[in-house]
Amino acid sequence: MLGLDQSDLTLRIGTIAAISIYSAVGLLLLGILLLRYIRNHKDRRRQAVTEIWRPLLAECVVEVPETLPPLTTRDHLVLLYLWNHCYESIRGDARANLKELARRTGSDQFAKELLHARLLRRRLLAIVTLGHLQERSIWNELAAMLRADNAFVSLVAAKALLHIDAQAAVPLIIPVIGTRKDWSPLKVVAIFEPAGADIAAEAIAEAACLASPEIGSRLIRHLAATQSQHALPPLRALLQKGLPSDDLLAACLFLFGECSDPRDVSTIRTHLSHPTWYVRLQAASALGKVGMEEDEARLIALLDDEHWWVRYRAAEALSNLPWMTAQRLTKLYDTLNTVESQEQLVSFIAQSNIKAPDPAPIVPQQAGTA
Amino acid sequence: MDSPETPKLKVLMVEDEEDTASLLKFLLERASYQVVHAKDGRQAQELVSTMAPPDIVLLDVMLPFLSGLQVLTVIRKREGWKKVPIVMLTADGSEHDIKRALENGANDYMIKPFNPRELTSRLKRFVAHAA
Repeated sequence: MLGLDQSDLTLRIGTIAAISIYSAVGLLLLGILLLRYIRNHKDRRRQAVTEIWRPLLAECVVEVPETLPPLTTRDHLVLLYLWNHCYESIRGDARANLKELARRTGSDQFAKELLHARLLRRRLLAIVTLGHLQERSIWNELAAMLRADNAFVSLVAAKALLHIDAQAAVPLIIPVIGTRKDWSPLKVVAIFEPAGADIAAEAIAEAACLASPEIGSRLIRHLAATQSQHALPPLRALLQKGLPSDDLLAACLFLFGECSDPRDVSTIRTHLSHPTWYVRLQAASALGKVGMEEDEARLIALLDDEHWWVRYRAAEALSNLPWMTAQRLTKLYDTLNTVESQEQLVSFIAQSNIKAPDPAPIVPQQAGTA
Repeated sequence: MDSPETPKLKVLMVEDEEDTASLLKFLLERASYQVVHAKDGRQAQELVSTMAPPDIVLLDVMLPFLSGLQVLTVIRKREGWKKVPIVMLTADGSEHDIKRALENGANDYMIKPFNPRELTSRLKRFVAHAA
């Protein structure tokens, strides 16, 4: 009797467990189908809005139509993405038309409401839109966002501020750059693009002087991308003021070489004998770009440096001098006293021969030593 | 009595980004061009081998499958397409791409973001010059 009861109980438990598992699987499948349906519905909705507004945005580039279709809140989000993309694709007068469209659809007000949204992507969308619309009423909010915990929010806010008023934004952003270790220097250079290369170069150079040596040196290296001479005065002042860190000094010398301003030659020369090897290396490279005929001897002397990379860059700098030819390098090779200095020149002699194949290539007899 | 219509000038537009393509198509059609759109490098390559030479080509540099520079080489090797004016569309700051494109036979380039008015006037100038 007891045995029968026990098997009955086991059977009942098994049945309940099986039903539970089937129900859970069924619910899970139902959930997946529901999520899929919602996603497809959203995609279709987004597609429908895109199909209506994409041609309208294109039309707005030429002229804003008199009547515009109505917008729901969800549609408005899609429109903001399309609007920003269109705005970033064009330049010139057409942007004014897009701004007019945004005002007529109430996108400025809508973006202001999104500025406090719970979802990060909506907040970012709002900041970008309001920056493009040059919405001055949110200036203080954007300025506060420069110190936001989230690096994306702070970077996008900085870019929006620069869109709204570059001159007023630069003094706000410079002190922040030095404190934000989560801002990539490459991103920093990119956010200054709307302000123009010269404003960007000066601002970044000033920020580099205020930042820690680690961040400052990275910023200075990226300044080369702006190709602006406006970066040089703050850095010259920094070097004149006192003793910057070796990292900063090396970065400044790198930039002096890239900008090739003859006014910096004397500064470069003084650092050819710096105790830190990577400062000597940058000085040698820079001298190869901006040096004069008298600097050839200084570079030759560096071919005997104790550090391999300094010798290598000195050889490269020598080969880069505008008056240097394969023949002249070969002649120089023969006058060198050490194997270390000679071996650095060999590859550059070969490269010079390739660049200028006529007359017949000259290869030094001791090339095998390299 | 129907007056004979002036045949529309044909432009081959190679652009993968849908929003940009839609904008370009609108601007070109508004300027009375007949637009043939290739969405990637491979489709552009196919069109180059099958269609008659257009009056002008508008070619993006960054494309899936085949880059704009590779498509440019394909176009310049194709018989009948050698003199078709090609305007490259390139992102800001890619001087290297511009140099390579011009060396490989492109006639001009436009930097993105572009000025719509400048784009149509440049195309017009090229087509007029080719005619």
